[in-house]
Amino acid sequence: MIPAILTGVRLHMKQASRNPFDLSGVIVWPILYASIAYYLLDAKHEPKLLLSASFGASVMLMWSMVVIASSGALEQQRWQGTLELVVAAPTPLTAVIGPICIGGALVGTYAIGAVLLWGAVLFDVPVHIEHPLAFALAIPAAALAVGLLGLIMASTFVLYRAAFHLGIATQYPVWIVTGLLVPLSLLPSFVRPISWLLAPTWGFRGLHEAALGGTPWPDIGMCLVLSAAYLAIGGTFLVAFEYVARARGSLRLT
Amino acid sequence: MNTLRVVFVGGLTSYRALFNWISPWIFIPHTLGYPVFEILFFAYLGRFAGVQSDQFFLIGNAFLAIAVTGMFGMGHATAGERRSQTLAALLASPANRFAVFLGRALPSIVTGCFVAATSFTICAAVLGVHVTFSSLPGLALATVAAAFACTALGLCLGALGLRGRNVSVFADVIGACMLVVSGANVPLHLLPGWVQTISSGIPLTHGIAAARAIANGASIGSTADLLAKEALIGCIYLVAGLTMLRLFEYEGRRTASLETF
Repeated sequence: MIPAILTGVRLHMKQASRNPFDLSGVIVWPILYASIAYYLLDAKHEPKLLLSASFGASVMLMWSMVVIASSGALEQQRWQGTLELVVAAPTPLTAVIGPICIGGALVGTYAIGAVLLWGAVLFDVPVHIEHPLAFALAIPAAALAVGLLGLIMASTFVLYRAAFHLGIATQYPVWIVTGLLVPLSLLPSFVRPISWLLAPTWGFRGLHEAALGGTPWPDIGMCLVLSAAYLAIGGTFLVAFEYVARARGSLRLT
Repeated sequence: MNTLRVVFVGGLTSYRALFNWISPWIFIPHTLGYPVFEILFFAYLGRFAGVQSDQFFLIGNAFLAIAVTGMFGMGHATAGERRSQTLAALLASPANRFAVFLGRALPSIVTGCFVAATSFTICAAVLGVHVTFSSLPGLALATVAAAFACTALGLCLGALGLRGRNVSVFADVIGACMLVVSGANVPLHLLPGWVQTISSGIPLTHGIAAARAIANGASIGSTADLLAKEALIGCIYLVAGLTMLRLFEYEGRRTASLETF
């Protein structure tokens, strides 16, 4: 199973990195969100806030890539008529869909470089990483956790043919409740416990703390703990939903 | 009469297929949920930054909802036909092209206006923004003008779909650029001069400016120039889109590339 997962991650990363047109979206979206944040937050005259916004915009794209990659891949397989073959293969479906989600999140990490470069060149955002080692580890930890959160969502994509549209609709709610650009203190108090359950919260905090000089290790640890939990929950959901889809004979329906 | 039938019946049928509209459980979260949370996201970002009012972001992003439905509805029309391998059959038919694609445009305009009005109402209630009753006709007029202009831009993107296979991604990027360039989320005076020049030539910019002025108490007459500019921009994109459709259809036939994925 491990080789299947590693091969899947490598394959989907290569696939997603081949098309310059698709990659332009990966670069442009976070740059635009970061630019909006720079223009608005510049009024506060706090350079560290702008660097923090860069990481927020990057994690926003990471989540988008996971949703788009997983739902898009399943939809494409439905259209190509290969989804039944994938489900019928002896390899567990988790080892097929998990890598798509993680691959999407890893492609989303391209955004970190793009946004930091954009901010430094055009907005004079100071790029100084306080804990380089922790920062280097925080990136894959965030990608893994965000990707595996996508696995839970992807399990529903097996069941519903229009899951892509529902997946897209989750982008802004997740961005809001995880405090990526807007501090949670500004939001209603019931949002905070929800944010604790969602990986982008901890992925962003890990990057933020490592770059700006805080304590990133608890956040990186939370990413790993949540990754394990998501894998267990997503794997279980996937088995259950796959069974339902097979029983209904709805796998192929486009 | 046949042209009208193509416009209305054909448009409605293709529109339902476009959205896979089989259940409100799909339609509502995708079409309404997205703009509602988008408005809230930027309104809270504005509060955090201490820049502009909730009303600024409410109007700007409600109008972006029009852009999403108008541009994607039209932009995806040809790509959807190509994907389901019906594009060649559609273009081989003797139906008037203008009628075929106008049929796709009208439901997009109606949806864009509906989505903008509904998300505006929901978010105004959540954010506590009050708009006077007398400003509603003016806001409705600005909404229609912006929806028309965005759908016309979508027609250009749809025409590109006859030649390119990744038009949805392109439309996505254009939509993203509008977050900034149209002035929906960033006051135009904060943007560089060259971006402001682009802003003045794209849909939404003037419609948003007119709507903000009307919401602040201006009359329809005093914003007539902005509304006229928005409609004029829509007309220019409409003519460009129809020209591109004709040109790219001819090129697609000549190079046998209509069904190329």
